[in-house]
Amino acid sequence: MKKIVLSALMSVSFLGLIAQKQITREAYLKFYSSTPVEDIEGTTNKASSVLDLATGEFVCQVLMKSFHFEKALMQEHFNENYVESEKYPKAVFKGKILDYGKAIDLSVDQTINKKIKGTLLIHGVEKEIEVDCSATVKKGKITQESVFYVSPADFNIEIPGAVVDKISDKIEVTFKAGYSPL
Amino acid sequence: MKYVCIALLLFSFELSAQDDLLDLLEEEPQIEYAFATFKGTRIINLQSNELPAEGVMQFMIMHRFGALNDDFVYNFFGLEQAQTRFSLDYSFKDWLNVGVGRSSFSKTYDGFAKVRLLRQSKGAKKVPFGIVYYTTVNYSTLRWNDDLPHNESERLSYTHEVILARKFSKNLSLQLVPSFVHFNLVEDRETPNDIFVLGIGGRYKVSNRVAITAEYGLQLNDNFYYNSEGNKTSYNNALSIGVDIETGGHVFQLHATNSRGLADPQWMARTPGSWGTGDVFLGFNISRVFTLKKPKLPEE
Repeated sequence: MKKIVLSALMSVSFLGLIAQKQITREAYLKFYSSTPVEDIEGTTNKASSVLDLATGEFVCQVLMKSFHFEKALMQEHFNENYVESEKYPKAVFKGKILDYGKAIDLSVDQTINKKIKGTLLIHGVEKEIEVDCSATVKKGKITQESVFYVSPADFNIEIPGAVVDKISDKIEVTFKAGYSPL
Repeated sequence: MKYVCIALLLFSFELSAQDDLLDLLEEEPQIEYAFATFKGTRIINLQSNELPAEGVMQFMIMHRFGALNDDFVYNFFGLEQAQTRFSLDYSFKDWLNVGVGRSSFSKTYDGFAKVRLLRQSKGAKKVPFGIVYYTTVNYSTLRWNDDLPHNESERLSYTHEVILARKFSKNLSLQLVPSFVHFNLVEDRETPNDIFVLGIGGRYKVSNRVAITAEYGLQLNDNFYYNSEGNKTSYNNALSIGVDIETGGHVFQLHATNSRGLADPQWMARTPGSWGTGDVFLGFNISRVFTLKKPKLPEE
């Protein structure tokens, strides 16, 4: 009897709990600013994220310097003048899937559309945001996608007059992550 | 046995109690390279440790107006006596840049190469300063105005520079540039062909897009010629101060300098005028970059 209890406990405590946390260090993030004058795009596939299937909690962080641009000078200006990467090296999102309910079952292929609410930290400024996200389970693997908009002004990112036509005040952010159990 | 169960239970609680998921994302420190030590590939006349990125072509215009002490108003504030240098360079690699230039002073063509040998970094790899090697060959096409026989090689002069640069903070960057200048032809028998110069340069950013710059070319050996009256006259050290203004794809550099020459051997070792006597030239550099080869962007 004791053995059964023990093994049951073990399976709960190890397999169960551990598999509930899903992680990736290769999440894709893109931000895209579009104006009639110029389109600017920064991408990285080095963002990291954890999704807790038990609670619906979700975090994501990225080093600002990991973003790549089509023009080297854009990348330099992005880091040096806009997000000030040396002072504020990371962007961090910490939130929770709203109305999460029951844990997502990885044995059933499915797509779930929900909202995530949390705080986004960029350039040392925290802002509460609520974004749409969709989680897809396929063959026991979970992926998550989200597209949302941020404004540089909300994060105290100053855009000088000379380039005000080149940088949109509504920047599209795309997030895509495929997770593995922690 | 009971204890084992309790321990396991506690352990499992502990796992779930690790509520800050961010702790799971802690990463090992990475190598962080210093970037944007200077805004331009030149501080003013002196080369900075910056190279354009791989696949980027740079066009640069350097311009010096007439001297303040040379009938400044009559010459429309020196605007009518400009010296210029145009250059075009291309970075084959992030660490290799080559280019050509033409200066109006002494009608000189030049070819140059710039190679990054070491990058300043912190984090997983700590390197306190960066090292860049820069070299030029200069070919003057000025017509000979004496009736003496000349070799083509007399038109050539060279520089070798080792650029040691450190970005101390977001705002402050300094560099030392031990340099060697060689002229195949010099004015007088006693004028040295080889001049050692210690370039000293720096910038201080006053805002994200504006920086104050200064540089000095300290000649380490006696560099002189005999003037028309036969008096021994030393060449001066070049001192320049300026402002960098950055707007998108351009860098504007506005400055004042006692050096009129723009090609490296000229400003380092052929500066006759001094600040004290008003031999000061206002000028600017403008650079514009073109991305010829687009870098590969990260994919999903």
